[in-house]
Amino acid sequence: MDLTYRDVQSILKIIDDAEHLDEIELVIGGFRLHVVRNGASKSVSIGAPVPAAERKGPAPAPVPAPAAATSPTRATEVLLPEGVLAIRAPMLGTFFRAPAPGEKPFVEEGQRVRADDTVCLIEVMKLFNSIRAGVDGEVVKIVAENGSMVEFNQPLIFIAPDRRDQS
Amino acid sequence: MPAPPFKRILVANRGEIAVRVIRACNELRIESVAAVSDADRDSLAARMATRSVCLGPAPASQSYLRPELLVMAAKGTGCDAIHPGYGFLAERADFARLCAGEGLVFIGPPPDAIETMGDKLAAIELASAAGVARVPGSGIIRALPDARDFVRRHGLPVIIKASAGGGGRGMRVVSIDAELPRALEAAAAEAHAAFGDPTLYLEKFIERARHVEVQVLGDRRGHVVHLNERDCSTQRRHQKLIEEAPSPALATSLRARVTEAALLLAQRAHYEGAGTVEFLLDDDTQRCFFLEMNTRIQVEHPVTEMVTGRDIVIEQIRVAAGEALSFGQHEVKLAGHAIECRINAEDPVRNFLPCPGRLEAGRPPQGEGVRVDTHCFPGYVVPPFYDSLLAKVIVHAPTRAAAINGMCAALDDFEVAGVPSTIPFHRQVMAHEDFRSGRVTTRWVEEKFLAQVIAGLAPDRAHVGA
Repeated sequence: MDLTYRDVQSILKIIDDAEHLDEIELVIGGFRLHVVRNGASKSVSIGAPVPAAERKGPAPAPVPAPAAATSPTRATEVLLPEGVLAIRAPMLGTFFRAPAPGEKPFVEEGQRVRADDTVCLIEVMKLFNSIRAGVDGEVVKIVAENGSMVEFNQPLIFIAPDRRDQS
Repeated sequence: MPAPPFKRILVANRGEIAVRVIRACNELRIESVAAVSDADRDSLAARMATRSVCLGPAPASQSYLRPELLVMAAKGTGCDAIHPGYGFLAERADFARLCAGEGLVFIGPPPDAIETMGDKLAAIELASAAGVARVPGSGIIRALPDARDFVRRHGLPVIIKASAGGGGRGMRVVSIDAELPRALEAAAAEAHAAFGDPTLYLEKFIERARHVEVQVLGDRRGHVVHLNERDCSTQRRHQKLIEEAPSPALATSLRARVTEAALLLAQRAHYEGAGTVEFLLDDDTQRCFFLEMNTRIQVEHPVTEMVTGRDIVIEQIRVAAGEALSFGQHEVKLAGHAIECRINAEDPVRNFLPCPGRLEAGRPPQGEGVRVDTHCFPGYVVPPFYDSLLAKVIVHAPTRAAAINGMCAALDDFEVAGVPSTIPFHRQVMAHEDFRSGRVTTRWVEEKFLAQVIAGLAPDRAHVGA
């Protein structure tokens, strides 16, 4: 089935609204989404593997995965609907949505972005790193909290890239 | 119970020392935050700490060696102090200053003390004021008569070194007077080729040198104590492999002199926290020379802890919080003998080649007087980005002979599968007459032991499954 941006948004809303649930299973036709909260070891990712473009920033270490796949540090692991990409923090730092306090945020949910648009800043000791979208598409959700510390590789913003067959 | 010295400590390191620091935090009821690289997300330290944060990608240059990331992580997680462990940023005065500027306590000496001791000439000056000179050395050798003059005053053998040098290049030992001119010429040519600078100097060459170091601890109120010495003569390419306390080579009168000198040096440097003053002992003449002072916790600190019964890491944390040392010099007592073997993921048969990989299984030794400091567990993947230390096995017994026998048993008991380890090497050293009789010098492993024994290091059961 084809997922539209609107579908993705509704799905994310369902998940958001279901704070009291540990586990959600969503079936729409042949599409099945299984979400487990708090990084429980059973969590499975859906359907297709995460596209390569999703790997923002430095590539992960080329080591074999350890036997124990879960870790207390993986609380930030999220499961994305097919075709939705996460822009991740290339380093530990403070996440900022706007170029300066009081100014307009770089992007809002629902906004269209181009690949080289700046979507947020990561500040490390007064040094501001511009983070770019990396793909053309629409901002589905901003998951990091403005002004909070984010870890390396933590998802910041979800983007639904433009479909290739349309371009 | 007294209040904990800190609320929350960021552990700015990895491996066994991160685990060691977290244990000390637990004992002091301090929360710990493991700051890890992407490769260490599933490490034992990350699992043991109250929480962990990921700094950046696996290479240390993008994670453990980034002062600003560590300070951000500490502030972002509400820590009030940072423990740097050893290596990485532990002896960087600028990092200690950055911490202070951001309102974080750096668990170590003040930046000025780190800087003074990091400056070789300043450290040598302090040491000589404290009564220990460095190994006699010449100024720049401009011509043959300068060299002859040095030899006349200090005798042979001497070692020729390149001013711009390092890593052993351009170095030449001269034991026969007639060889001096040719050796100088060759060394100058080599130095010129290697460093673009042919300038040379001479040092008195100590043929039978032992590495002896004194553990010191200081607090902010000006108290300094020493915890006696360690002997780390079993080295390969200047890397310590086996350490013990006390030194089997130090006469009582000399022990008093080096510990006094270390104490005086630490006092003059207004030293706070844990530090180590390193000496070179000439085994033939029983003379001691100053090498350098390390301004951090050392890998080999457990042997001192075992014979003194003092927890150096806890003491380090307490004094960083401004508390007084919990004991005075007269309360430092020595009991028995302790030996530490560093178990590395290296293949002794293949020239100690580091061998990262997955630990299929592992069973650390246990028993009376046996301590194992490690971050490994079955299934752990030794990452290729950092040093290859797997574990430190420490054995404490009433006598040196008993400690050696205990170490033999512990090594036999230690199962490591999946990666090669240096366990077979240590077994052979423990069995060697030179080690048992305490006659090992810093060049013994390379010059005698490996040539003699390497054949005996053929695969054994520690390699099964490798």
